[in-house]
Amino acid sequence: MTQPALPNGATGVSRRDALKQLALACGLVLSANSLSALAAFTPPTDLTRRKKALLNTDQLALVRELGEIIIPTTDTPGAIVAGVHDFINHFAAYCASKEEQQGLLAGLKHIDDSAQTRFSKPFISASKTQQIELLTHMEKAADGFTADDRAFFKQLKALVTFGYYTSEIGATQELAYLAIPGGYKGNFKFKDTGKAWAIPY
Amino acid sequence: MEKNIYIIKSTEIFDAIVVGSGISGGWAAKELTEKGLKTLMVERGRPVEHRKDYVGEGVKPWQMPFRGQIEKAIVDEQHYIQKKCYAFNDATKHFFGNDKDYPYSTPKDKPFDWIRGNQLGGKSLLWHRQSYRWSEHDFAANARDGHGVDWPIRYKDIEKWYDHVEIHAGISGSAENLEILPDSKFLPPFEMNAVEKEMKARIEKKWKTRKLIMGRTAHLSVPAPHHTAQGRIQCQARNECQKGCSFGAYFSTQSSTLPSALATNNLTIATNSVVHSVIYDPKTNRATGVRVIDADTLETREYFAKVIFLCASTLGTTQIMLNSTSESFPTGIANSSGALGHYLMDHLYGAGASGRVEGFEEEYYSGRRPTGLVMPRFTNYSEMNPKFLRGYQITGSAIRQGWDTFSQQDGFGADYKKAIRSAGSWIFNLGGSGEMLPRYENQVSLHPTLKDKWGIPQLHIECDLSENDWKMFEDIADTCAEILEGIGVKDVTKKIEAKKDWHPGLAIHEMGTARMGKDPKTSVLNGWNQAHDVPNLFVTDGASMASCASQNPSLTYMALTARAADYAVQQLKAGKI
Repeated sequence: MTQPALPNGATGVSRRDALKQLALACGLVLSANSLSALAAFTPPTDLTRRKKALLNTDQLALVRELGEIIIPTTDTPGAIVAGVHDFINHFAAYCASKEEQQGLLAGLKHIDDSAQTRFSKPFISASKTQQIELLTHMEKAADGFTADDRAFFKQLKALVTFGYYTSEIGATQELAYLAIPGGYKGNFKFKDTGKAWAIPY
Repeated sequence: MEKNIYIIKSTEIFDAIVVGSGISGGWAAKELTEKGLKTLMVERGRPVEHRKDYVGEGVKPWQMPFRGQIEKAIVDEQHYIQKKCYAFNDATKHFFGNDKDYPYSTPKDKPFDWIRGNQLGGKSLLWHRQSYRWSEHDFAANARDGHGVDWPIRYKDIEKWYDHVEIHAGISGSAENLEILPDSKFLPPFEMNAVEKEMKARIEKKWKTRKLIMGRTAHLSVPAPHHTAQGRIQCQARNECQKGCSFGAYFSTQSSTLPSALATNNLTIATNSVVHSVIYDPKTNRATGVRVIDADTLETREYFAKVIFLCASTLGTTQIMLNSTSESFPTGIANSSGALGHYLMDHLYGAGASGRVEGFEEEYYSGRRPTGLVMPRFTNYSEMNPKFLRGYQITGSAIRQGWDTFSQQDGFGADYKKAIRSAGSWIFNLGGSGEMLPRYENQVSLHPTLKDKWGIPQLHIECDLSENDWKMFEDIADTCAEILEGIGVKDVTKKIEAKKDWHPGLAIHEMGTARMGKDPKTSVLNGWNQAHDVPNLFVTDGASMASCASQNPSLTYMALTARAADYAVQQLKAGKI
């Protein structure tokens, strides 16, 4: 992989050092004042916001299980280690509408009910094969699952995908993350990174 | 900005007042101060200091609680219009207006999305940075088909001012020697990727009238020494521009015009100062200053100057003018023509087509290029289409599908994860930017009863799409699809977003409502952006535009502003204003 022009500094000292290196490379002298201004960066106010959650313990456990089935551990960690279930729990509480929240809870219940009907046990107690079979049917709207069920699974998959690839693990271990690419190279081969970019565009 | 340049109250009679601090206001301040005028910049919003106040910059996705999205309750309450802007997210939202504070009304069947950037630097912090000269063909458009009044200027009148602003701002692009899209004084262009190069070759082979070139953008692809001296360095291709850029790699007031203006020691700034109206003296027939309401305390104050430049954004400027009533001007200052508030335009966005490019799996790109490609206008220029008047420019790009596009395909598990890691198919997309006709009935007025929290009458905006606009939308989608299919792109789909949720305003290229023209009876401003009726009042932002062409307009605002400032200083020194 070609070296990025800069370390992926974002906040505080690393960000200041990154800018300083760049400034030096460009023969530009940044004043001590502008550097301390860079270091005195304050995060968006929401970072300190209180935690609110949508899911109860059982629902959270189900989302945890589903996340890992959608994005499993391979040569890099999967959805569980990336904390996707906790992110979804928090994200859905704040960013989803009431209807979307109810849709999520109803969809989760439907997965569990379907497992009960088919395997006489809750989804998380079913075997991997059973779990995958059920979700495959759901995504294909087959074996009694409807177009609405299929749409729900796509939404769930989108949520898990979003949570995983915007996590530190998903972005930096599974994919290639470049905070400061150093410029645009149009003549760049896929093999030079071997992985898709975490920030694609 | 270590010096004490901010003031609240002042009895000083400045040489000039500039209302607004965005792209136009920043240029007015730079040019006027560099020509020796003691200038007060009046900004309704808060101060934003370069670098220090870019609080969303450099925050990694996982460091944001909702990974860039925003709590729904906050959006619903405060950002119900602003959320429609593509650049609105958790790391940029503080540079967008709070919709609760900036109310306006529209007829129910004519929605208009008004995107606001009310802070020091204005929308120069948020803009898309695409920078194109207008051509002789554009300045002659109204005269050619009789819609709108003829522009009082032509390309030759503005050409050297384009040169002037481009050299300072830094515009990257490729010299193409096209009359329809004149070259700027360029920094090197950004690179095309492998698919874009191939698509360019296929298009230009198939259609002699159509060219695909690199987009022209106000980014330092390779800074010149004078850019480095401004404290600006090379674009790092983060494509997170609207968070603010500590590198100063793109043109903004903060990165480019404000440092120059401050260096003169002639600039003073009043922030949190909402301009209520322009003060007019009927005895001298001059604007003498502005009435201001403090954004926080609601206290009123006045500032005075010999020359007034209104650069408060297209609709912001017109709102101030409409509210500046007197016995001489009962319907708004400098409105003897009755044209003030009329001929509102925006670009026709959201129509186009996209599809999948087979192959090229070994090819990729590094970095997030801050510009796409552009296909200069050919419709009703080199290829005639009698179905509608005017034309459009096409923009596009080739990208490989990212992780965000995979969930709609079937499959999950290890194979799904592997497919995402391997990067998706190449997608080639094209979309149009269409020219809207200037029409009298697309207009803004002051609401008879509703006021904002500063007691200023709200704007009532009536703007809808004409038959010409709809025909152009259809042709943009058809033509984009025809091009893609003609060069072998697969699974081509067309779209016209205006049939769903795109409304005028959302191109954020609102123009007109205080148009330039030759005749004081039908226009507000003359060929120098000077009010026909009040000679020391200038309007140099988008309000002044007599037509809207199909190019992004900001570069033209810069050039018009610098040109008007030069003229105003000459007139002032000659004692004529």
